[in-house]
Amino acid sequence: MSFEEVDQSAYVVLTPEGKFNLVAAPPFKARVDDLVAAGKVRLVVDLHAVDFIDSSGLGVLIGGLKSARQHDGDLRIAASGSQVQAVLKLTNLDRILTPYATIEEACHDW
Amino acid sequence: MTGDGTCSEYVLEGFAVPDQLDAVHTLLAQAADEHPDLDSMDVMLFETAIIEIANNVVEYGRPEGEVRWRFTIRVREDEIEAELDDTGQMFTPQRGKGMPGEDAEGGRGLPIAEALLDRIEFTRMDDTNHWRMVRRLGQPLPG
Repeated sequence: MSFEEVDQSAYVVLTPEGKFNLVAAPPFKARVDDLVAAGKVRLVVDLHAVDFIDSSGLGVLIGGLKSARQHDGDLRIAASGSQVQAVLKLTNLDRILTPYATIEEACHDW
Repeated sequence: MTGDGTCSEYVLEGFAVPDQLDAVHTLLAQAADEHPDLDSMDVMLFETAIIEIANNVVEYGRPEGEVRWRFTIRVREDEIEAELDDTGQMFTPQRGKGMPGEDAEGGRGLPIAEALLDRIEFTRMDDTNHWRMVRRLGQPLPG
């Protein structure tokens, strides 16, 4: 899986594609860790191009969320598809990872 | 595909390595393509469950990179079943632990599979780990 990254100054948008699974999760986690370490702590993960997520992908999102919040930032998700939303609901992670419909909604107060 | 009209069977054999996870997705997609009456929600939830079990074998099967697996998917009128045999070391799954807390970064794989499947069985036979996973069709998403 590849992912695009756009720095909007106030926040960074990461856009993974394809399957967000145990193959894709480690490089994505490494990039989020680098961004947070560099002070980029407001992150939006645009999931419109992710057609499948597994527990490894969820773990990376939770890890990024915790890391960003520890540095007074946040990680938010936008444009998730039906499989992602079903898994978030099943795991109760929709309580802390609110699925915003769009990037604009996700970063409305940034 | 093989089958007699009441049960269609799809088989994948190879090494249990990360790159082969795509082949599991492809196998299920083939089954779904050839059964247009299968509800897409059932396919999606079943896929989510069996990939978690496949992940387990890929991540923890030893010797790493040398474990072979055989995936069999069967589509029946009222259920979809997967059997997974792998040649990895003896393995004792931690069943029934429930979903971890919201801030946990791991530990969700098997609970996700357990929540989405109606039956999940694990046995060790000779030198093979055997998983059997069944989802009855038409069940709502739990929770």
